[in-house]
Amino acid sequence: MGRKIVVLFVAVAVLCMAIPAYATTDEWWKKAGAPYKGITLKGIGQSTPPSEVVRDVIAPEFEKLTGIKIDFEVQPWGVQYEKVIRDMDTGAGIYDFAYIEQDAIYAFLQKDWLVDMTKIWQEHPELTDPDLDLADFTKFIEYYKDPATGHIYGLPFEAFLKMYVYRTDLFEDPEIMRAFKSEYGWDLRPAIDWEEYEQIAKFFTEWGKKKGIELYGHTAQAKTGYQALPYEMVESIWPPWGIYNWGINLNNWRTSVKNGGNLNGDLAKEAFRWYIDMLQYAPPGVKTYTWDEEAASLAAGIVAQGFTYCEFLGGLLANPEKSKIAGKFAVTMPPSSPQSMNEAVRGLGYLGYYDGASYSILHAAKNPLPAALFIQFIVRKDFAVEYARRASRVVRKSTFASPMLKELDQQQGGYFTAFQKYEFLFAGAAPLPMHLVIIDIYMDWISKAVAGEVSPDDALDSLAEEIDSTMIEMGY
Amino acid sequence: MHGTELKGWGFLSPTLVVLGFVGIFPFVYVLYLSLFYYNIFSLRGIVYVGINNFRKLMNDPKFMSALSKGLLFVVVTCGVEITLGLAIALLLSKKFVGRGVLRTIMTLPLAMAPVAIGSMWIVITRPAVGPVSYWLGKLGISYDISESALQAFFTTVIMDVWHWTPFVILAFLAGLTSLPREPMEAARVDGAGPWQTFRHVIFPLMRPILVTIVFIRIMDTFRIYDEVWALTSGGPGTATKYVSIHLVRLVLARQEYGYGASMSVFLLYLTIVMCWVLMNLITRVKKEVYAE
Repeated sequence: MGRKIVVLFVAVAVLCMAIPAYATTDEWWKKAGAPYKGITLKGIGQSTPPSEVVRDVIAPEFEKLTGIKIDFEVQPWGVQYEKVIRDMDTGAGIYDFAYIEQDAIYAFLQKDWLVDMTKIWQEHPELTDPDLDLADFTKFIEYYKDPATGHIYGLPFEAFLKMYVYRTDLFEDPEIMRAFKSEYGWDLRPAIDWEEYEQIAKFFTEWGKKKGIELYGHTAQAKTGYQALPYEMVESIWPPWGIYNWGINLNNWRTSVKNGGNLNGDLAKEAFRWYIDMLQYAPPGVKTYTWDEEAASLAAGIVAQGFTYCEFLGGLLANPEKSKIAGKFAVTMPPSSPQSMNEAVRGLGYLGYYDGASYSILHAAKNPLPAALFIQFIVRKDFAVEYARRASRVVRKSTFASPMLKELDQQQGGYFTAFQKYEFLFAGAAPLPMHLVIIDIYMDWISKAVAGEVSPDDALDSLAEEIDSTMIEMGY
Repeated sequence: MHGTELKGWGFLSPTLVVLGFVGIFPFVYVLYLSLFYYNIFSLRGIVYVGINNFRKLMNDPKFMSALSKGLLFVVVTCGVEITLGLAIALLLSKKFVGRGVLRTIMTLPLAMAPVAIGSMWIVITRPAVGPVSYWLGKLGISYDISESALQAFFTTVIMDVWHWTPFVILAFLAGLTSLPREPMEAARVDGAGPWQTFRHVIFPLMRPILVTIVFIRIMDTFRIYDEVWALTSGGPGTATKYVSIHLVRLVLARQEYGYGASMSVFLLYLTIVMCWVLMNLITRVKKEVYAE
């Protein structure tokens, strides 16, 4: 009885401590938003799981608390950028805040299209979340700082790694393990280099045929004529082969070997040939897959292994209502070469893509101050763990300490453990202010080669030549 | 100026102002832009380059490839739509049970947004799971528009034919209804059969209408974008990257405003030349018809 009373007392005490803290926070948002009650903030996001959480959960909650209406649209990759660029270029001021992906930040900073949020916090302490705690953000926030001043131009609300996902139910199946060992002579486990990955891909594709089931050993975002394809090459394939920064020499902005780049070097060509060759082990129609379909093919249970943006884990792969592999997959490092691993460990390269985005205030915004308030609301500490559950994104170090995250870690194939362990081996895109222009040229030539219009080697030679001439034309 | 003339100009002025804003000003601005190097992410800013953009255009293999693909698409699509449209219009001009219902059903695709058509065709043609690829697969025919350039090209043709043939049918039906009855009755009295009546009476009378429909469809197919972009994104590779898609990508994705403007001006010039040829053809046909 005495023990029960103690437990009850402790529970009541914890509750008493928690309730005022939460109530105070709510009160703070209400008070800070009061001067702007009744106005409408216009925002645009990209159709990613974390942005959908902003639209479906965070914006309605903010509206309820503050009375500030959020008119928020979620658009696909290309459409979203076209709309924001047009808004900024014409100075129309349609949007107050926008989704700025890490690889685009350099273009926006160069054009001076973003509002200095540090300045807002300095000038308007009444609009600064007392619990903002910038030191609590992961290293991803560094991408949103002006290197010269250290000022922040956006608060990251999504950040995740693109990692290697494999089916534990297949990799640990005794029959499959025996068959694999007898064929390749080594124990089936996640691949650590490209040769192993290829052998596993081949094995599972043949296994599917042999057993009469729909199963393939690989998947990809290989839709020709769509940017998902060149992004897969520059983010996920070339870096672990040792080709960084899109093959561009950042000292002179050139890509061809003759001009000091390595986009058409032997290593880049070998990796590209490998990528195209591997498509034979992917499901039919892989050349219609963007990032969404790639993740969906894993969730459909027709693929044994692949690389995916881990923002898809929480809402899709680990969701039993949408995924056939919920509870049957694990996440680990993508394969690499000993040389690229060595370079990544020494900080001279990186093995994979650290993707993410911020919400930032646009220069032509009509309501920059309430927009700053809303952006802080998106990344507030007390929603961070729930946000990770819904969209597998972590932007705060404190989120990792949450007991709930440990539970989520199990559901999401050990992703959060892998994230903490390997984060340092991943990097965001290189500082390429012209990236939105040149990605389209990458797309053209890579698409041609994937479709078989030109050979991979010729495609990279032509690509390097065109990028070099475009750089010269643009003044780089 | 007389009072009546002033009054006339007064009535015309709202139209002229609107025309100036939506037609003349954008055209002059595009013409002006075509003389500059203008990419919003360039470090060089806006640079006057004179006719260099046009010179670059003539030596641009990507543009020439997109142009030839676009023209091929126009020729094949218009050829099928006109032939099929005329045949169905002739059929629907006869009286039979259910004609009204058939006409209504046939016009339904016209009411759909192009991007919705493209999305619908994605579902229909999805490799392995779409009904077309699935049933063709059952017949032993491999159909995958993400792999085969030829299949992708003809799928875009079929999609456009499905979408726009009803328009051609309606236009031909309107033409057939407005034809004078006397020549046809005279031909029947003279003992002409259905084919002879069509060949020597209906077709010559329909030629001005035919040329007008061809003219409209050429303009439309030349600037196709939404359906094809939604269905193939110009792929596989660049197999269905028609000139209109090439232009839109250049301006919207690469932000090449100056070069894109010069491309627009060139395409406008090409369109005007085609119009001129067709107008001459119409005039000649009209003269021939009235001379007969």
